[in-house]
Amino acid sequence: MRGTLVNLNVNPCKMCMPMGAVTAFYGIKKCMSILHGSQGCSTYIRRHMATHYNEPVDIASSSLTEEGTVYGGEQNLIKGLKNLITVYEPEVIAVATTCLAETIGEDIIRIIDKFYNDNPEYKNIEIIPVPSAGYAGTQFEGYMKALYQIVANVDMNPEKNEKVNIVTSILSPADTRYLKDLLESYSIDYILLPDLSENLDGIYKSQYEKLPSQGTDIEDIKRMAGARFTIELSGFTEDNPSAAEYLHETYGVPYKKCNLPVSLRDNDSLLRLLEKISGRKTAEKLKKQRGRFLDAMVDAHKYNGEARAAVFGEPDFVYSTVRLCVENGIMPMIAATGSRCRNLKEMLEKEIEEVANSYFANDYKILDDVDFQTIEEYAGELGVNVLIGNSDGRRVAEKLGIDLVRRCFPVHDRVGGQRLRILGYEGALSFLDDISNVILAKKETTFREKMYDRYYKEDGIKYPERQINHKNHNIIELNIPKKEFAAPEKTREERTATHPCFNCGAHEYARMHLPIAPKCNISCNYCVRKFDCPNESRPGVTTEILKPEEAFRKYMKVKKKIPNLSVVGIAGPGDALANFEETKKTLELIREQDKDVTFCLSTNGLMLPQYADDLINLGVSHVTVTMNAADPKIGGKIYKYVNYMGTYYYGEAAAAILLSNQLAGIKMLTSKGIICKVNIVMLKGINEEHIPKVAKKVKEMGGTITNIMQLIPVEGSVFADLPLINNKEIMEMRKKCGKIMPQMYHCKQCRADAVGTLEIDRSIEFNACHKTENAKTISEADNKMEVDNRTGMDSRIEKDSKTGSAGRIGTDVRTGVDSKTGKDNKTGTDNEAGMAVRAEADKERIIQVAVATKSGMLVDQHFGHASEFYVYEYNHGNVVFKERRSIEKYCSGIEECDVKEDKIESIIRTIADCDAVIAMRIGESPKMKLNRKGIRVFATYDRIEDSVKKVASDLSGL
Amino acid sequence: MENARVLEERKEFIWDGQDGRGGNGIKCDANSVSGSVSQRACVYCGARVVLNPITDAFHIVHGPIGCASYTWDIRGSLSSGDDLYRNSFSTDLREQDIIFGGEKKLKAAIEEVAEKYHPRLIFVYATCIVGVIGDDVDAVCKAMSQEYNMRVIPVKSPGFSGNKSVGYKMACNAIMELIAKHKNLKKKGINILGDYNLAGEMWIIKDYLNRIGIPVVSTFTGDSSYDSLIRASAAQLNIVQCAGSSTYLADRMEEEMGIPYIKVSFFGIEDTASSLIRIAEALKDEEAKQKAMEFTAAERLKLQDFLTKYRKNLRGKKAAIYVGGGFKAISLIRQFHSLNMETVVVGTQTGKKDEYEIIESLVNKETVILDDTNPAELEKFMKEKEADILVGGVKERPLAYKLGIAFCDHNHERKHPLCGFDGVINFTREINSSINNPVWKYVKEEL
Repeated sequence: MRGTLVNLNVNPCKMCMPMGAVTAFYGIKKCMSILHGSQGCSTYIRRHMATHYNEPVDIASSSLTEEGTVYGGEQNLIKGLKNLITVYEPEVIAVATTCLAETIGEDIIRIIDKFYNDNPEYKNIEIIPVPSAGYAGTQFEGYMKALYQIVANVDMNPEKNEKVNIVTSILSPADTRYLKDLLESYSIDYILLPDLSENLDGIYKSQYEKLPSQGTDIEDIKRMAGARFTIELSGFTEDNPSAAEYLHETYGVPYKKCNLPVSLRDNDSLLRLLEKISGRKTAEKLKKQRGRFLDAMVDAHKYNGEARAAVFGEPDFVYSTVRLCVENGIMPMIAATGSRCRNLKEMLEKEIEEVANSYFANDYKILDDVDFQTIEEYAGELGVNVLIGNSDGRRVAEKLGIDLVRRCFPVHDRVGGQRLRILGYEGALSFLDDISNVILAKKETTFREKMYDRYYKEDGIKYPERQINHKNHNIIELNIPKKEFAAPEKTREERTATHPCFNCGAHEYARMHLPIAPKCNISCNYCVRKFDCPNESRPGVTTEILKPEEAFRKYMKVKKKIPNLSVVGIAGPGDALANFEETKKTLELIREQDKDVTFCLSTNGLMLPQYADDLINLGVSHVTVTMNAADPKIGGKIYKYVNYMGTYYYGEAAAAILLSNQLAGIKMLTSKGIICKVNIVMLKGINEEHIPKVAKKVKEMGGTITNIMQLIPVEGSVFADLPLINNKEIMEMRKKCGKIMPQMYHCKQCRADAVGTLEIDRSIEFNACHKTENAKTISEADNKMEVDNRTGMDSRIEKDSKTGSAGRIGTDVRTGVDSKTGKDNKTGTDNEAGMAVRAEADKERIIQVAVATKSGMLVDQHFGHASEFYVYEYNHGNVVFKERRSIEKYCSGIEECDVKEDKIESIIRTIADCDAVIAMRIGESPKMKLNRKGIRVFATYDRIEDSVKKVASDLSGL
Repeated sequence: MENARVLEERKEFIWDGQDGRGGNGIKCDANSVSGSVSQRACVYCGARVVLNPITDAFHIVHGPIGCASYTWDIRGSLSSGDDLYRNSFSTDLREQDIIFGGEKKLKAAIEEVAEKYHPRLIFVYATCIVGVIGDDVDAVCKAMSQEYNMRVIPVKSPGFSGNKSVGYKMACNAIMELIAKHKNLKKKGINILGDYNLAGEMWIIKDYLNRIGIPVVSTFTGDSSYDSLIRASAAQLNIVQCAGSSTYLADRMEEEMGIPYIKVSFFGIEDTASSLIRIAEALKDEEAKQKAMEFTAAERLKLQDFLTKYRKNLRGKKAAIYVGGGFKAISLIRQFHSLNMETVVVGTQTGKKDEYEIIESLVNKETVILDDTNPAELEKFMKEKEADILVGGVKERPLAYKLGIAFCDHNHERKHPLCGFDGVINFTREINSSINNPVWKYVKEEL
């Protein structure tokens, strides 16, 4: 398993063994299954099957309890067998174990023997044990194991007969029906094991049969030992017990293993075999179907040729589907099964090789024991454009925006899972059409936008919005071979559209600079790189130099915190190319994890001719070259020296070498489509008049944009005292050069470790976040949280508890639902006082009623069973809810209250201040007690509000 | 009815008109009868129902793959934020782990998650096997919590240790473990307990409360997150929607955090209206109460014509109900009543004695009441009582269809809300479109 989390199965691409076992037994006539284990297993499996097959699925359970788990589940299983026989009257019973039964060591063979011995009346019922611990394999192994257990356990009749056995791996009911028709067309007298065609895709009948009445008859199974031949339709019985092999070894029945007939080759070879066995010619009808299949293969081959598929599911499904794919030029980029399947890779490599070679697509993956996390990650990386498998792939489809062709088990999110076909020429054709149509549908709905994006160049850079929107469409560039273009996932235009430094419309995107390049190979007169102050922001400044691994970690951290991060840049603090090894390593590490991020790099250009190709291969799409002069004479004033290939050059010679390398390098990059920006530092009295010439030169070399910047004077540098250029001058120069080529107006001249959008630098936040001991940051964050909580806590509560007052949160906030009532013998003083005042003012009209309720909506509780009352006030015809009173509190909280005191007494005390009580039922004795206290009693079943209204109006009428 | 056999042991769990009622009442709250094909799930299932809607937690199933596979993203709980909860994480125990123990695997998994994602909250569900092979899940969780400064909370849910209700309780304990120590300053507002935001139901309730001026502090657990859950102690009041799963949590929150609670229901017009008013009353908020009365009256009015129209179409139709808990069954009986329909069969997986008494008092004498029933009994009684529609979960659907009976899914997988005023419309339409669908006419025709 690969995937980000290696120690967990994330989104399983498999189910468990008992599921497979039960499925196989659904193909046996009058058979009922019981799972020996806890109740949940059977219920979950029933749900899973019912939603796929749209048929009632009855599976019994021995319903193991805690006791059964400790002392053994024999009693449960025996009782379960008896009960299911009583209700279902089966002829065959499958006893499949679960994780629980296997782990506690249940000996089902012994239990079944005991059952036969103790209940001779059931001796005619065939009980077949299947050891199927959920952890021992997937549903595929469970299914194959069940078939083996059937032939190995049924009392066989080895007398020779003319029948042909067909044993199949998991098929849909519709495919099973096809297989039966096929055999009948050769007039072959067959025994099909199993035959779930009717039981799991039944017809509508006026009389429902709860016990599956179709399927393979147990009497036929007995004759399998005497059959003249066995065909086993599964390529994967080597790791699993094979029914065909068992019949051969035990009874000498010859056999042949065939692949599921999905591909042309597998269909053809099955038909040839059937011709041989039956001595009959293939029916004209089938030949026509074959011809039509061939015709369709030709018709769709060009669409299929664009398909890059991920195929997942049970081993036989994956293997046979891949064989169909490769015949049709569909490139299987991923072939994956959740089962453990050692020979899958070897078998499939042979299949895929040819098409992979002709498409130069050798980065495909064959995976077993896989989860969907892994499939999803690879599908994204490998540019998969069609998913083929069960509906558990829907999450990947949803996330990556790739359509899913649903086949195999389970299909939960569509109807008709039981009728999906893959077998035979016709089944394969409908399957193939579905795949081709995914490719066609995608093309039809996206090609206009895609071509516009790629080829409409006019003012392209000025219309970023339209391009940005496309990001959401999940358009995957499919036809670009990986090796030639290092970054196929996003077009350069898309990258430019999301690069804040190359496109002023992309200001919402963030970038980060990784300070991994300390060395520099030239010396500019305006630069000193020894200073660091985190609050200062300018090129050449960084808090710390990172190693490539550290830079990678920092990137991953930042990426998580800043999701709009679209660009990683290397901008010194020295020169990226003077530190090429570090640059290369860093970019490689990041690219491995993130195909999407744009790589950007800035350099003085001295080493560009040497590394231009490497940069392209690394996937760098944007390069900034700082070029202050296009004339060595002027350059000579700006650069102190150049260190080129180990030799120092000074003055004009230095400037000449630098210039020619800069120009050659830019040309090399732009000719390959790399976006080049040229930075020009405007230096008063040195190059200010010369800048338009630089811009012209850049344009000639194919540069995209120039960025004319102010000098930031740095103390200690040669130009520290150079007079400054003001904003106006800069803007005028940019305007002037704007006539030559596009200008950047929004440069912020960032730090070498800048992080964030151009507007908000967040580099301080991420300092040291590359360190391996990230525990520190976590605990810091947590401490902060703790403090927050403490300060957030109500100080009043603490005070209360100090003073020993019984006050609790409930009292302090006065919710109105008084939870502390009963601290003393009476109700809360607040209430009482309030009551008294109100009672005085409005003596006869306020009536307080207690209601015994369980649901809170209805009077639905016995008086004697009540654990709480809802108290209502009736006032001027209005019913108002007052509070919920818990009886426990009236008892436990009171000192005088004897623990053993009669419960009725405490109930009565709870509602002592009420005028009436309403309950669903009430006994005579409490009724009298209440009456003696002047509390009227009403028994009813009604909505609370309605009953209170009735009672109160009754009372007030008195 | 030759193949309609009822097991002797099951008879006490069934009340029907013929056999009479009374005595000790219906038998319920007991273990399932082996081999009877119970519709119940397990403890783990119950725990998953309550906790899984917490959107930003890692829900790690410690056990073999089946438990994780069958519960992966099958419920309709929606999220307005994270969607981590829609992934399935499992330690995928294999034979080796059964022999040598799964603790190491669990620890490695948590460490990896911690280092790669720095989550704040992880739930570890212990399944059947884990109890038997003796993994000390509590100890691993505790150690991991300390080492990584995050909350790793064990959920003790081996399937055999009871039924779904036990699972609810285990989940509530896990929630308490998470929130109990977070004390917050009190503020105006309430917590909603026992709603899982199926098809946005939590959002509907929140919207109603917002309209009447009552803020919601925290929700359990529909559309919740670590941050939202730990705010819970700030609330003045808890309201409990699904009593079956969350009364225990409400009790503990009252006891330990001093938050009083009331039970509410947002199924049907009457319940929705009186619940909103009651919440305002409980908070002694006159203004909110006024608004609630106005709002619910207006909504009720809006539905009048709609209901009159549909009632005509549904009058006299017979319903069968088989759902998880007692409260849902009760609420459904009343909703059918309000549609002029009669309930002829009603049963629950985990109903309690007093709930069955209420059910009994709500239905006719001839209505059959069933506890922890099975397909054979459902078939028998639905046919005998000539039910027109069954309300249940996905497992029961194909059975209803085979019997020519309409169906309404009232389970966690549905994709439309059934609560609040919108829910009344959806429920009524769903019942009508299934019961009055022309297919029932054609399936009776002969060739």
